[in-house]
This record gives sequence, structure tokens and C-alpha cells, in this order.
Amino acid sequence: MIKQLVTGTLGSLPILAALFLTPCYAQQAPRPVPSGPWYEDDAVFIRIVQRTPEQLNAFYQGREFNQAAIDQILDTCFVTPIIHNKRFDVLWLELDNWQFSRGAQQIPRIERDYWPAKWEQSGLSQAHRSTFGWTLMPEVRDLRLDESVGGSVVIPRQSRPFTLTMNFHSGADKQGPLKTIVFKDLECIIDKP
Amino acid sequence: MHNRQALNRAVVSACLLLVSLPSMAVDTLPKGLLVLDGREAPPLVLNNLDGERWDISEARGRWLFVHFWASWCGPCRKEMPTIQAIFPKFDASQLEIVLVNTAESEDVVFTFLAEVAPDLTPLVDADGSVTQQWQPRGLPSTFFVDPEGRLQYLGLGGRPWDTTEYLRFLQRLVR
Repeated sequence: MIKQLVTGTLGSLPILAALFLTPCYAQQAPRPVPSGPWYEDDAVFIRIVQRTPEQLNAFYQGREFNQAAIDQILDTCFVTPIIHNKRFDVLWLELDNWQFSRGAQQIPRIERDYWPAKWEQSGLSQAHRSTFGWTLMPEVRDLRLDESVGGSVVIPRQSRPFTLTMNFHSGADKQGPLKTIVFKDLECIIDKP
Repeated sequence: MHNRQALNRAVVSACLLLVSLPSMAVDTLPKGLLVLDGREAPPLVLNNLDGERWDISEARGRWLFVHFWASWCGPCRKEMPTIQAIFPKFDASQLEIVLVNTAESEDVVFTFLAEVAPDLTPLVDADGSVTQQWQPRGLPSTFFVDPEGRLQYLGLGGRPWDTTEYLRFLQRLVR
């Protein structure tokens, strides 16, 4: 099992953050320990679910997607965070404030507008397009206290580990502390032989 | 003079009470419920699994629990038995539970509900377009529509509707 290095910082408290929060391994949580990478503090709980191509294939086959559409999905890499806002009145999920990277190299996200042309090519029905849309992480969400959100964020398939840096503004007016969580050494999982 | 002061005090007290009423109502909401702005609910005309048409415009005079869900969504699967549990507790003429399945086939919906919520007959939003119009924050989501057809509350994600705090909230609605 890969032990995941996870870093959490509060932007407005860089010194405290440096002293107490960075870098740190994820702490023991009172809930069952998730199987994949995760992070928890008093403000947020985040875990990252990554499905193998075989699992993705089974999921979408179970939803009666055609194979051509599933093949389009399997050409990419799905990273599926689940985020729970435990403390802030509003925690801002804004995917434009997240970065996928490897060293200094940025890895661009595959955004929602990539998919309609793929679905046209593969002849995917409107119902299935709708279902697929609901499985994606919303681009923006004002996560309220005790609200959770989950969904897939898509990047081009990677053969080497990468880092996901999540930046969240907080407060209804986004003037609260900036929260940064870093997941290192994530991978696009492949099926085991 | 004393009478005027007493009257002023009474007026001020009454005003304070009136001002504090909405916040009292909000304070007593269970976790994960948002107060909405009372705008009119979007149209909702769909057939249920039995092929019967249901139209929100014909559902005035009662509270509606309008719940968007899909069987593939983990929190939906966890929440559905709690909706089944509250279903017999409310008279549909006071609080009607309206399930809207998002973009799944009737076979999938039937198979899923037969196991976990056999008393519930969902509406089928076959292509997901009605769900899109309502713009839930995700699946599952539950809107509370008042007897005048206005959106009053939103349940964020899956909620344990059969627990005391949520049951109290639901009972307060229909009281």
C-alpha cells in the first residue's frame, strides 16, 4: 500500500502552517480509514477515490453506456475526490484553483466541454450524457457547513506519479483563510495483470 | 406618560419578536438544510413508473418533498431507506414525497427500489432534462416546496430523514 503524503496549509497563517501543518502525514481519523489517499483536519475531510480502468468499464457498462463511449472515458484518467466541509460557513470548491502537476510541469485538466464531441462520435444518448455529467465534479460549489461533494476530475492519462494541489477560499465573500491541501504521488491506476 | 412608555416598550418588543422570528426558524433547522429564497418551483411534469402523469402545478395546497436521485450514487443508496421509513408517517395531502430518478432506465429504477424502498413510486426523468432545469447541487438533493408552489428549503446531499431532528422538522412543516 502506498502511504500518501498529504499537506494542508492555511494561507493566512503561513508561519503557523509551516510550524504545525506542513508537511504532515494524514492523521488517524475517527471514521473508518479510507483505502485510498485522504486528508482530515478540523475543517475538512477529503479522500480520493481512484478506479482502475476495469472498474470504470464495469461502472459505465452497468449504466448501459455503449462501449465506444466507455473507450473514450478509458483513454483518460479519472481522479475522484470526495470533500466534506466540517467547519467553514462556506468553503469554495473552484476547480480553476486546483493544479495537477509533476515538478514544474502543469498537467491541464480535461474540462466539461471536451466531452460533447466525444459523445457525438460514440453516439451516446442524452440520458447517458446526463448521467456522465452528474458523475463529474462541479466546476464551482459554495460548499456549506456539513455539506459534502464528490465527483470526478479528469486529466490526460499519466504514466508517472503526479501532484494535486487543491486551493479553497473560505467564507461567503471568499475573504476567509485560503486552505491548501496537497496530495503527492497520485497515479493513474492501471489494472493489475 | 407611563402609558406611552409602556406602549413604546410593547411596540419595540413586538418589533424585536417579529425581527427574530425568521432567524429562530433558521436556527432550528436540522443540519444540512438551507433556506431558499421562496422563488417559484420550476415546472415538473413527468410520468411515474406506473406510467401515470404527475404535474407539480396540480399539487398546490400541500408541502412537497421533491427528491432527485440515481441508483449509481452512493449517498442516494444510503439515504433511500430513510425516505422509505418516513413515507408512511405523513399523509400525502399534507406532505407528498416526490422522487425524481435522474436519467436511468425504468428497469434499473424498478430493480433498485424493489429492494430498498418498495412503497415508493418514482417519477422518471428519462433524459435528465427536468433535473437539469431544477439545478440540484448534486445527487441526491431534496427541495421542499410549500403549499403555494415556492421553493423554501433544500436538503444538501443525503440526510437521515428518519432520525428525530429531521422528523421534527417535517412534522413542523405540516403542523
